[in-house]
Amino acid sequence: MKVSRRIVLKGIGGVALALPLLESFRPRKAQAADPVTPPFVIFLRQACGVAAAGNTGEIGAEPERFWPKDYGALTADNVSGRALDELTDHLGSLLVVKNVNMQNFNYGDGHARGALQGLTARGPTVENAAGSSEAAGESIDHRIGAQLNPEGRDSLFLYAGANSGWLGGACISYRGAAQRRSALHDPWSVYQQLIGGSAGLSPEARQRLVGRQQSVNDLVREQLSTVMTHPALSGSDKTRLKLHLDAVRDLELTLTCKLNENDELKLQGDAPGFASNDGFQVVKTVKLHMDLAALAVACGYTRSVAIQVGNGNDGSIRYPDHETGQLMSNNFHYISHRRESHDANGTVIPGSDYLHHKVDRQFGKMFKHLLDRLSAFDSAEGQKMLFHGLAVWYNDNGNGPPHSANHIPYVIGGSAGGQFKQGQYLAAADSSNTKNHAKMLNTIGAAMGLKNSAGGPLDDFGDPSLPKGRLTELLV
Amino acid sequence: MRRLFVGSLIVGLSACQGFISEPGQEPGGGGSGSGASGGSGAGSSTTKDALVPLPRVARLTHAQWENTVADLLYLSAPTGKSSGFPADPSTGGYLFDHDASNLSVDQSLWGTYQRAAEEIAEAVVGDAAQLAKILPPDTGDANARARAFVEELGKRAYRRPLTTAEIDRHMLIYQGAAGLFPSKPAFEAGIQLVLTAILQSPHFLYRIEQSTKADGGAIPVTPWEMASRLSYTLWNTMPDDLLFGAAGANELSSEPQVEAQARRLLADPRADKVLQRFHDAVWELEKLDSISVVSSVFPDAPADLKHLAVEETERFIQFIFRGGGGYRDLLTSNVTPVTAETAKIYGLTGNFGSGWTEATLNPTQRKGIFTQIGFLAANSTGVDPDPIHRGAFLARRVTCIPLSFPAGAVPPLPAAGGKTNREVVASHTETEEECAGCHKQKINPYGFTFENYDAIGAWRTTDNGFAVDATASPLIEGEATPVSGAVELLDKIAESPAAHDCYARFWTEYAFGRSRVKQDDGVIRYLGQSSLEGASLEDLIVKLVTTRAFRHRSTEEMP
Repeated sequence: MKVSRRIVLKGIGGVALALPLLESFRPRKAQAADPVTPPFVIFLRQACGVAAAGNTGEIGAEPERFWPKDYGALTADNVSGRALDELTDHLGSLLVVKNVNMQNFNYGDGHARGALQGLTARGPTVENAAGSSEAAGESIDHRIGAQLNPEGRDSLFLYAGANSGWLGGACISYRGAAQRRSALHDPWSVYQQLIGGSAGLSPEARQRLVGRQQSVNDLVREQLSTVMTHPALSGSDKTRLKLHLDAVRDLELTLTCKLNENDELKLQGDAPGFASNDGFQVVKTVKLHMDLAALAVACGYTRSVAIQVGNGNDGSIRYPDHETGQLMSNNFHYISHRRESHDANGTVIPGSDYLHHKVDRQFGKMFKHLLDRLSAFDSAEGQKMLFHGLAVWYNDNGNGPPHSANHIPYVIGGSAGGQFKQGQYLAAADSSNTKNHAKMLNTIGAAMGLKNSAGGPLDDFGDPSLPKGRLTELLV
Repeated sequence: MRRLFVGSLIVGLSACQGFISEPGQEPGGGGSGSGASGGSGAGSSTTKDALVPLPRVARLTHAQWENTVADLLYLSAPTGKSSGFPADPSTGGYLFDHDASNLSVDQSLWGTYQRAAEEIAEAVVGDAAQLAKILPPDTGDANARARAFVEELGKRAYRRPLTTAEIDRHMLIYQGAAGLFPSKPAFEAGIQLVLTAILQSPHFLYRIEQSTKADGGAIPVTPWEMASRLSYTLWNTMPDDLLFGAAGANELSSEPQVEAQARRLLADPRADKVLQRFHDAVWELEKLDSISVVSSVFPDAPADLKHLAVEETERFIQFIFRGGGGYRDLLTSNVTPVTAETAKIYGLTGNFGSGWTEATLNPTQRKGIFTQIGFLAANSTGVDPDPIHRGAFLARRVTCIPLSFPAGAVPPLPAAGGKTNREVVASHTETEEECAGCHKQKINPYGFTFENYDAIGAWRTTDNGFAVDATASPLIEGEATPVSGAVELLDKIAESPAAHDCYARFWTEYAFGRSRVKQDDGVIRYLGQSSLEGASLEDLIVKLVTTRAFRHRSTEEMP
């Protein structure tokens, strides 16, 4: 792997001591071929809306527990009592954006509409298909990886939660229309993906592994190429085999992303594994994913990471209650509906608006972990890594009942190298409820360096029927 | 595999915005509820011999990969390595997990395949006893032994004989391995690298069908390809030695030959898992894991009700299958496995131990799988029965009536307020035209017939102080048909050609690895009619895998 810039670990601070894997994030061999640290983005997706002010049939008047109190500077007082006060340590690096509104595409379900549109800004391939829906286009995380990643690497798509339920589990990242990407669940697998092979090898053993893989890869490439010449093969078959052929990559010898052996063992032991519904395990998995996402962008593996928490409606995870230290009695989807039900039936859950707020806080705590990680690296330019990129905590929906497509929460950490405003809470300048969510994705994509069809900053990503453009009011 | 938990507020009360098809199903039907054909008259334009283009390369699912690795290497248990593979995305509208057009190998999966192959080969070659299971006898000539290994293991791994050129190419891998495993003798090093390569080969990771020679307007699959079609459909793993032997002897070409092997495979316990997997998907049995009743309302309900429900359902399906029963028996049998706790819910008296025993339930109250605890409790609110979801399930998965989802948010059910559960649901869903279109005709009439079963599946005659009314006129063969309750409904469904077509449709989708298309309707009608006439589950599956469609490829290819 080629490393284009110098990444050095920030000196020991309050955060660093509390983070068990941080020390090992020091690149084993820093290189400084390129003095410019390119921007990156790490998305954290939450489902089911946030505990915003509103009136519900189940609870009645629900107070505001998410958004800051006033537009303007993000201060501790402004976010006090709101879920965002979990991020008080990073307020100066945050931009909180209201009035981001998704299109009411006819997905037949608010969760499908939010989850599948979230990173694609696209409608469904088949209308009104609800849990069988697919998005009709590529997602921005994939576009960034496909166009900007070094050496043709895919962007990372990471998932925490059960591989089942609404929309089938991991569902937010798309290679193209109806081409959903698979996600890595197990942090240990993610780490081995970063280093390009099995962990725990000496340099000599790794050299031999490289030789073995080259020998096997040569055979596999020959076999795939031969199969692809079959005269009766369909275009669909060829497309899938071509994807496979492109994925057969010879192992790289440089190991900038490598942890030390003790931390490799620790990560292997800590990695909670696959398809858990246990909120403690999920939170642990998400934090490990964040550790590895930070490592991946810091060592130049990828310019884009998407982390999905929970399936299409996050309908099976019971999150930890930070007040009791126990798991909540109900899954997040039930809580977000205020009922013990995946729909509008079922027994009302007393205090579920406050439980929803507690789930928001859990996401706030997880997002803080990511911000801490990105703040613990210094770049060659002497900035925190967070300055160079964006960490984006967003949601599928605007609120609990009725899972609005409007006021989708966007909490953005970092500045993409000084491009984004920081330390502020503002509303997108479009008139209220304007469907400007695609503009948000264009703004992020353009900040990463993506271009439109005319070669200018990206402004045409998403469904062609949606207004083009960027939310320039977010920019410095 | 797409799972079918209801997803949001707005799908809770399904309304109709016009009659649309389910994803993968042809539009049409006009509300007739005419089963698998969607009322399109497809039967007149298709026959059971119709063929549909299929992918030529079908990647193994992760479950198939696990089973195949274990069988290939004669392991005592699956390796579990696939737990680190990225989960395959689900296919919109397809109930199962093996839609080949949606199974690909990207960088993430390739990396996990590579590591798994390395680790498995290392473990096998490092275990002398395990290695001995896949090595040919030692004749003193290491090269000859290695060549025999490539030939024998290669045939089982690629599920066809290797060409001489392929064997030669693998021998190059063998010969180049020595320096790459400095601590191993050359022979073991070579074997390990060859095994590593085989486990990463596209010929192992995919089921590849290369046959192109047409005969009578269709392309017969080769005996080797037929062996894989049978084993992956009926066992979810690679062919065994007997199946390979039949392929090698060209004994998988005729219908009787295929039938003989299919019956042998279905007699094996591995077929039970496939039956379970099929019904898990079609009947949304994952929902049973979410059974949760309100203890203040049902203080005597077993604490582990959901586990009991899951086990009863699994045992019931196996009981019907192994007992020679058919779909009609799944719908109407009033014999089911019970424990002391579930017997109580069923109103049985007598002594039942902690284990499972088969019991005969009251035939005036119970008929088949949908009057059992699992379906009833999984489709309840924890307090009340849920006629909307019970009804919607029957429509979508038993009579194959497509339903649409409402376009907007739907308010929750109001409080009972002196009404029965049925009255509350009816007043909430049948007054507004937008909702009534589906609810009044297609959903509620099915669901209301189950009002005699409470939220844990126990029989009840009163609701909120009023007598239960379980009469309704659900759609049977497209006609509103008066019934007195669920027992009569299920008797009528069991005699409905459309319901048997519906069940046959799901089996067809399972066997062909894709959603139903119109050209499948001939096969579906053939199987549905067989089921209606009393075919056992085994006979139904045998009929499916002996159809022309299962034994051939279309002369047309996919786009």
